[in-house]
Amino acid sequence: MRQRAIWSAVLVVGLALTGCGSASDSGKSTSSDGKLVVWDWKSGEPFAKSYLEKAKADFKKKHADVEVEFVAQPFDQYYTLLGAAIQSGKGPDVMLFNGGGQIRDRVDALVPLDDYVAEDRQRLAGWEAFGKDGKTYAAPVTLQGYPIYYNKAIYQKANLDPASPATTWDKFVADCAAIAKAGSKCFALGNKEGVGIQFWLSSMGSTTLTAAEYDAWIAGKRDWNSANVKRLFQTWKETGDKKMNSDGANSTAMFNDSFALFQSGKAAHVMGLMSDVGHWQDFNEFLTAEKLGVMKAPVVTAGTTPSLPYDGGIGYAVAKWTKDPKVAADLVRSLSSADALKAFYADAGAIAADTTIDVSQAGPAVATLVGELKSGKPALHVALSSKTLDLMGRLSQQLLSGSITVDEVVKQLAASDQAG
Amino acid sequence: MPIGNTQPSVRPASAGRAGGAAPTPAAHRHGAQPRRTRGGLGAERFAPYILVLPAVLIIVLLRLYPLLLGVNFSFTGDGAQNGTAVGFGNYRELFGDPLFRTALSNVGLLVLLLPVAVAIPGLLATFIYLRVPGHRFYRSVYFFPAVLSPVIVGAIFNLLLAFDGPLNAVLGSFGVGPVDWLGDPDIAMFMVVGVHIWATFGMALVVFLAGFATLDAALLDAARVDGASLRQVVWHVIIPSLARTIQFVFVTTMIGMLTSMFGLLFVMTSGGPEGSTYLPEYYIWIQQGQMNRPALASAASTILFVIMLVVGLLQIKLLERSGKED
Repeated sequence: MRQRAIWSAVLVVGLALTGCGSASDSGKSTSSDGKLVVWDWKSGEPFAKSYLEKAKADFKKKHADVEVEFVAQPFDQYYTLLGAAIQSGKGPDVMLFNGGGQIRDRVDALVPLDDYVAEDRQRLAGWEAFGKDGKTYAAPVTLQGYPIYYNKAIYQKANLDPASPATTWDKFVADCAAIAKAGSKCFALGNKEGVGIQFWLSSMGSTTLTAAEYDAWIAGKRDWNSANVKRLFQTWKETGDKKMNSDGANSTAMFNDSFALFQSGKAAHVMGLMSDVGHWQDFNEFLTAEKLGVMKAPVVTAGTTPSLPYDGGIGYAVAKWTKDPKVAADLVRSLSSADALKAFYADAGAIAADTTIDVSQAGPAVATLVGELKSGKPALHVALSSKTLDLMGRLSQQLLSGSITVDEVVKQLAASDQAG
Repeated sequence: MPIGNTQPSVRPASAGRAGGAAPTPAAHRHGAQPRRTRGGLGAERFAPYILVLPAVLIIVLLRLYPLLLGVNFSFTGDGAQNGTAVGFGNYRELFGDPLFRTALSNVGLLVLLLPVAVAIPGLLATFIYLRVPGHRFYRSVYFFPAVLSPVIVGAIFNLLLAFDGPLNAVLGSFGVGPVDWLGDPDIAMFMVVGVHIWATFGMALVVFLAGFATLDAALLDAARVDGASLRQVVWHVIIPSLARTIQFVFVTTMIGMLTSMFGLLFVMTSGGPEGSTYLPEYYIWIQQGQMNRPALASAASTILFVIMLVVGLLQIKLLERSGKED
């Protein structure tokens, strides 16, 4: 009897120990010498294959003995998983980030890369989106911008000149009335996730805010009570009140239902992206390159000059807990090397951060976009925190449904923005 | 089905039940006594504790300890304040956040809608039990949605309820203007709950049918002979006989509503429009994953845990009381 009790005790302790052991093992991510673990949400996609091959080959030249493992995470869980890794202080050595709020909220866990990437400064564009307080935390891979695309076929149907879209807001509203008469909507809008307002803010920012206001906004000195900031939200509300948007905007997903509306010719304009999805390559496929136009934002406030809003789209960063930051930074540099980025542009249809890549094969829309990069400015919404963007998304839905005033919106946003 | 098994013993009158319950402990005592006199070793006294130890260890190490860690974590700060104690700061922030208050009031809405979620499978099961024409067909059809994942159900209803979707097209053909089912903050939550009920009522229906299987047909026949109408039969015969089944379905449906709406919310509304369809679960996920506020999310989790604890205890109380009445 005693023996049986002892045996069961041994069994229980053994079980408990193995249980504990396996639980802590699975939480650990390998980061031994000679191996770098990279987290992203791209490496599983077929289009990223040649990009990764090029990047790995480049890295191999510098560190032949270091193995690199790419772990593709699902994007909708990416920052949740990353948050858990950061919390535990263990995780990948190198990780992919979206520019703006997503990386700025997490710089505590990252290594400043300024000393490592000095050579790439000139060749690559879009650094600002990965910086905070004067330090850079990731090297850009793609550029993300928010151009206004339009469908030239619908312009023709509405007896408008496809070669010269409206340059002022009033003319634009008038054109939209003509487009409505011809049976199409003016904007394909998906604001279910509250992202529509972000694109609106950035696309219309350069022609609504004065240059001084724009720069102050990016620098963090945002005057939410200025007449022009209010004007940004008034024009957004106007598109809803005048039924310029596609129906049911608050229940339409931007990715990719609203882009599908534009591609299928049901709406004349869409505020789209430059890289990844909802961009020239997708639209070219359906509308053909000849029918796809990119227009400058119509001028809302007299005296402003339209400029393309863009930032670094995605970029790789180095985690604080990596063993040798220099090696990890070299991998980041390889991931933004000229050859790798050329492959990314060609296969994924992204505007790569390397502005020296030749894009003349991809149609007039891309040529226009790349031409505007020089005079472009950082996008307004990228400067805002995730919390303020989330609030703005909800408020923008209320503006469309008419249950809130513009004054109340800017008041709430100002409070959220000042709280950090 | 423990509930079903107890049902027939109701009829043989209360005396029979009391008589049936008494011998069981007595038999135990008789059987156990000789063994205990022979043993009396220390090891034997330890054995029960050792036998429950694995279960206790698993619960303590993998459930209670993380729970305490989480509660402890909810009293620390986020970002720059990571790791430092902030007292009830996170809780104050939560109750100051209109979005979290919306999430809590939506929990209240779910509780209010609970009777509907129980009545629908109850009524349909009644019809199947009363053998309406085609009842066999309905029995399998009603269960079908229960095997679909919330993501698939959400995607299907996203299409059906889209502004330019088939439901609005049908309404349009009757001259009723289109409704933005998932884009109107006053309607969206009801649509999501409705879809959740549609997707899950099959399980409750099966439980009800099992309850019906134990129903005494003689009672129904007697009621019919006495000239009771259908409504009277349902009200005076079926509902009282199924009281415990109904309570069981109440408990399981409540738990289902509070814990497994995330998938539908995620796919159908993303918490919108205007934040009107937030539930605590979704709020926790957003704060942790999107806003990088794990400590705040922990505080929200703690509140959700307390809510679930209160609801669970209330339901246990309710079940106990109804058990006694029986």
